[in-house]
Amino acid sequence: MTHSDLELQLDAYLDGELASRDAREFADHLKECRECARLHDARVALGAAIRAEVPALRAPDELRTRVRAALRSAAGSPVASRRPPIRGWRPLALAASLALVAVGSWRLGSNSAAGEALSEQVLTSHVRSLMPGHLTDVVSSDQHTVKPWFNGKLDFSPAVYDFAGRGYPLIGGRLDYLGGRPVAALAYGRRQHLINVFLWPAAQGPVRDPGETMRQGYHLLHWTTPEYTYWVVSDLGLAELREFAQLVREADSTASRPTAH
Amino acid sequence: MEPHELGRFEVIVLPHLDAAYTLARYLTRHEHDAQDVVQDAYLRALKYFEGFRGTEGGDGRAWLLAIVRNTAFTWRRRYRLEATATEFDEQLHSEAVADVHPEAALLGASARESLHQALDRLPPEFREVIVLRELQGLSYKEIGEVTGVPVGTVMSRLSRARSRLQRALYAEQEGR
Repeated sequence: MTHSDLELQLDAYLDGELASRDAREFADHLKECRECARLHDARVALGAAIRAEVPALRAPDELRTRVRAALRSAAGSPVASRRPPIRGWRPLALAASLALVAVGSWRLGSNSAAGEALSEQVLTSHVRSLMPGHLTDVVSSDQHTVKPWFNGKLDFSPAVYDFAGRGYPLIGGRLDYLGGRPVAALAYGRRQHLINVFLWPAAQGPVRDPGETMRQGYHLLHWTTPEYTYWVVSDLGLAELREFAQLVREADSTASRPTAH
Repeated sequence: MEPHELGRFEVIVLPHLDAAYTLARYLTRHEHDAQDVVQDAYLRALKYFEGFRGTEGGDGRAWLLAIVRNTAFTWRRRYRLEATATEFDEQLHSEAVADVHPEAALLGASARESLHQALDRLPPEFREVIVLRELQGLSYKEIGEVTGVPVGTVMSRLSRARSRLQRALYAEQEGR
């Protein structure tokens, strides 16, 4: 067996890639052969040195953002980009108005289709937020830290509450992008479960009581106050999620709410 | 693509962003090139995502890393990022180490420096097996999937790469 053959076997042995019988034989050989034992120690030390000095890296946040935007854009989803290319929208708008002329019931159909698409986006945002490092941009259980964090990042000041006393502690907040606009996302906890609350200023329209949807094992609640459009999503049981939504609604109606500006 | 399909892609493939970046960074040896390679690779991955469904059960990591790896090699050819490195030659790069000293791993600052230099100087085909094995803990089989070579070749490249790094450290220790 040549020197490099021996090294090859030694490396496979150290990497746990030798069949168990071969590994036992090699271990026996190591006890007897000083040259191989020395080689073995050197390899172990080299491995430790590499792992200590050559780090696995963390992708920069900038890259994370870039990749996500590029994916959305490539997938042609409605939240294609944080800065939608203006030029691209014109033909679309034209096509849309033509479609309106062509199909009388278009408006009705598209409304429910839009709701469908939005709940899909809400769910996608929720699932994405579960990935490490994606849940919060500002981590704080203090509503007076989380709320000001949104200043200058949104064109409205979202209502932020903490329900720690009721078993739904505030975890933090982040910016998200839904239905073609930046929105506030607030994360709350409930035991091992996470709840995402998305809110943005309500378009003028009817105030709605919570509607419930279930998608892929997640519950989504959606309601509209005179000021905000709310979406709440979690894998929590429906009863508890309703309770949570009720807390938010009560807090909204009793608090001196900040207004959109 | 349907939004939930993109969501599925993000859930399966995005968590490996750090691994993708690590591989790209060590392969290109440039911060910005690495970022471009990763973004490019993710877009390709999205395109081929349908194909990945067939191999359900894999965790997506080896699948993604293979795309990152191929993207990086395409970039290298296109932009000659490795213009200073010698062309890879399985034989040329396979001389055995004459001798080794275990104490070589007690790294001083200069030894650390020479370890990094030695890694940089490795042909990318060697460097990638070190990154995939030592930094990301892939099995030989997974490394074979990523690099598109048989397990035997993975084994020998890894062994040779380690020998070269060891020699570089050893030379450093001797030169003190």
